[in-house]
Amino acid sequence: MGGDVMEVKQVVEVATKIGELLLSSGAEIYRVEDTMRRIGAAYKIEIESFVMPNGFSATGKTSDGKMITCVKRIKDRTVDLHKIELLNDLSRRIEAEKLSYDVIVKEIENIEKLPYFNFPLRILSAGIVAFSFTQLFEGTVLDAFFAFIITCVIYVLKEKIEKFGFFQFFEYFISGFLAAIFALFVNNFIWTVNIDKVIIGSIMILVPGIAITNAIKDALYGDIVSSLARLGEALYIATSIGVGVGFALTLGIGWVTL
Amino acid sequence: MGDTMREFLLAFLGSFTGAILFNIERYNLFWAGLCGGIAWAIYKFLVLFSGRAIYATFIAAVFVGLYSEVMARRLKTPAYVFSLPGIYPLVPGIMAFDTINLLTFGKLEEGINKGIETAATAGAIAFGILLASNFYQVLDKLISETLNKKTKK
Repeated sequence: MGGDVMEVKQVVEVATKIGELLLSSGAEIYRVEDTMRRIGAAYKIEIESFVMPNGFSATGKTSDGKMITCVKRIKDRTVDLHKIELLNDLSRRIEAEKLSYDVIVKEIENIEKLPYFNFPLRILSAGIVAFSFTQLFEGTVLDAFFAFIITCVIYVLKEKIEKFGFFQFFEYFISGFLAAIFALFVNNFIWTVNIDKVIIGSIMILVPGIAITNAIKDALYGDIVSSLARLGEALYIATSIGVGVGFALTLGIGWVTL
Repeated sequence: MGDTMREFLLAFLGSFTGAILFNIERYNLFWAGLCGGIAWAIYKFLVLFSGRAIYATFIAAVFVGLYSEVMARRLKTPAYVFSLPGIYPLVPGIMAFDTINLLTFGKLEEGINKGIETAATAGAIAFGILLASNFYQVLDKLISETLNKKTKK
């Protein structure tokens, strides 16, 4: 495969495209930098990059001094481990086989289009996450059952809200708010339901536990700036959820005493 | 014992379905779930016997790191496919939420305590995993190097 020499422009384009996909699938900073550097090295182009959680700039430089710089901004980030795995494999193949530009572009397109688990299955899994964690945090089976329903509703709503394009933290605020409102509502009819446990279970899919841990992991790898940025983001997410829940509980307490 | 079994199954289920949300390969789902289940069982066991939650979290994270490295070799996938679902039951997400919740209701002292606990837990997990996987990689390298030397002779 390969054979024809790729130009600097094409190499940088391919490398930054792969870097962008990696970063938006939730890869670690060092992995993104390393992958771009190795792709460049496969075509004898030195790629130096500076990666942050929400974007990066990369410069490719040939041995005869031609340079090209590219800046990418990443909007939405999810966790998609399968995509990271495939991109990793692709970059290994590029290194080993020095694929041509057209082949790589086609491969990237295939990876981008790759099927995710279908929506009903994801809703169900979100629900089961809530169901099991409510019980792990010492809730009863009844609490877990209501957390299951609430999480399914929240998951669907969150997906819909994302499409409307509100500001990023609004969806966390509204999800926390709804979880607490539903929990209060259920508690109104069935007194044995523990409001706190239901709320904790149903926001389990939202809370930034993995994000906080990854932030510290970044710091341990020496990426201090992105570590602080991720820590900040996790803090804002926790704050949005907390404020949403607090708001609902305050309203609810007023409502009950009225 | 029955209670531990029940919690193990619940943690397994939580990690398994959490792994679906992280979108990992279908045939790795079971192993990712198992990692979460065992990690939670270790955590619970150590908390019962020592009463120190952070220490228990650290040991559980070390287990997750080792398990995911071994499984990564076996199943030819990157280690994070197992380590991310594995730590899912341990991560201090709810703790971070509790921190904010306490602070919004004006319980500053408790909130700050909770915040420090959150940071300590997250640190224990990150450190445990990195330590275990780095240790494994170095050991692996040493073993393969010594084996290579022997075959050369």
